[in-house]
Amino acid sequence: MAAQRILIVDDDSDITYAMQMILEGHGYQVDSAVNSATARSKMEQEKPDLIILDVMMDTMHEGFDFDRELKHHPEYKDIPVLMLTAVKERFGLDFKPEAGDQEWLPVEEFLDKPVKPAVLLEKVEKLLGNKR
Amino acid sequence: METVLDNEQFVKRAFWLVKLRWITACLLIGITYVITQYFNSTPQEIPLYVIGVLLLLYNSLLYLALRHLVRFHDRTLNRAINRIVILQITTDLLILTVVIYYSGGVENPFFFYYIFHVIISSMLLSRLMSYLQATLAVFLFGLLLTLEHFEIISHRPIVGFLDINLFQNTYYVLGMFIVFSTTLYLVVYITTSIVFQLRKQQIGYKLLNLELSKKDRIKNEYLLTVSHDIKSHMAAIKSCLDILSTHMAGPLNKKQSELVERADHRAFKSIAFLSTLLKLTQMRLTGKIEKECFSLKQCIYNAFSAVEQKAECKAISVSYEIYVKKDTVFGSPLLIEETLRNLLLNAIKYTPENGTASLSVTEDNTFFIIQITDTGIGIPDDEKDNIFDEFYRARNARKVEKDGTGLGLSISKEVVQRHGGTIWVSSHEGAGSTFSFTLPKYKDA
Repeated sequence: MAAQRILIVDDDSDITYAMQMILEGHGYQVDSAVNSATARSKMEQEKPDLIILDVMMDTMHEGFDFDRELKHHPEYKDIPVLMLTAVKERFGLDFKPEAGDQEWLPVEEFLDKPVKPAVLLEKVEKLLGNKR
Repeated sequence: METVLDNEQFVKRAFWLVKLRWITACLLIGITYVITQYFNSTPQEIPLYVIGVLLLLYNSLLYLALRHLVRFHDRTLNRAINRIVILQITTDLLILTVVIYYSGGVENPFFFYYIFHVIISSMLLSRLMSYLQATLAVFLFGLLLTLEHFEIISHRPIVGFLDINLFQNTYYVLGMFIVFSTTLYLVVYITTSIVFQLRKQQIGYKLLNLELSKKDRIKNEYLLTVSHDIKSHMAAIKSCLDILSTHMAGPLNKKQSELVERADHRAFKSIAFLSTLLKLTQMRLTGKIEKECFSLKQCIYNAFSAVEQKAECKAISVSYEIYVKKDTVFGSPLLIEETLRNLLLNAIKYTPENGTASLSVTEDNTFFIIQITDTGIGIPDDEKDNIFDEFYRARNARKVEKDGTGLGLSISKEVVQRHGGTIWVSSHEGAGSTFSFTLPKYKDA
């Protein structure tokens, strides 16, 4: 079976690097983008199986916007999104820990930064397994 | 609650009264002259001129007394000024009465001017004192009317102006007096109500201000504790990483090295940020800096040698021109050098390769003016007002350097202000920026 593709959309190159190392070590094919525009063009080239998405990039809410855009996109709406961010404490937003307020924040999973490698792997496996 | 003016305002008002009196004395002399020319009749012009001159003399004395008071009294100033103001208004009422006597008494419409004295005392004195002053005015004017009416003193009319026998008309005199006295009391009532309302508000603002600075202090202390706490954790992390990155705990493979290096760099950035934040907060909290006399030129040389390498890397030519002879500043050479370095590094950071960054020092009578001009990306117009705010970073600056602290310019501003100078920027987006700041010259005694 071909390796599953994960796209990390985060402007923090260190976080991206670390996650890439974890995920690649477990057989995933990982690509990264520093903002939603780059992510869009990468997705056009190759559709990922999972997106790991940050919130604060070029704008404070870029991740939210991009997520909603994906969920309304005919081709991409089925790609699971793992939102990984430190934004929760910054703004005191009340997310449902199990994620997936389909109206407001339609993501499949939500994790706070920093995330432990084991937890990241578990969630990624779950999301990709669910899809299968 | 009776509220009083604070010293500074009281002194200001006392001098303001003196200023008004100069004008009044001159007007008295001028108007007397014009009226005697026009009506060419009054035999009492001499006393009026004499009063005018006496008024000028009296005012000079008052002026000197006030200056003396301000210079030599401190704690008792308010009371002393209060007494002088009472004296001034009382004397003014007496003088006005004499002037009116010599210029027609009840026929002289200038008696309306009593109202000014009453307004002034309501503005400056306590409510009781204002009513007393109004009573004095009523008494003096009433006395004048009575004495004239019953011919105890001779009437001195302005011939050709009004009916010169009005003073004998009981209804007229009585009516005038009743309207006059009620007007004065109403004026005191209205003016004091407004004035005391305003003073109460003023005190409210002052208290609010105090409250705000207290809150600000608490915020700064909080910030200090928090950043210090985080910094100590970061320092521990950095120490551990340092051991790894210098292979003191054994060799690392390539991947491990890369990870450690990234972590180490982030720890370093974080510590640098926290240090700057601590310094800024500390400065705001204590408001003090250690000052000494130092050479501005030397500071500039040091700052330049610290940034030269960075400039060379980007092929940016840096230069300075100093147009001042004496260059002594009284302040903190370390902080000023840091400010210069900050501004120069910004100029280099935000200027594309092969650009220029130049510094110039000029002077006026009291200040050195230091300007740092670059050919960089400039600042968007709508963001110019914000760039000195802490954590603020302009849109185009964030593109150049993602993880700047946003503290550099706030600390520069704080340093310049602590030295009694000002800092500002002029810039065109895409064409470059000029950061300017002033430092007071040191005047050796």
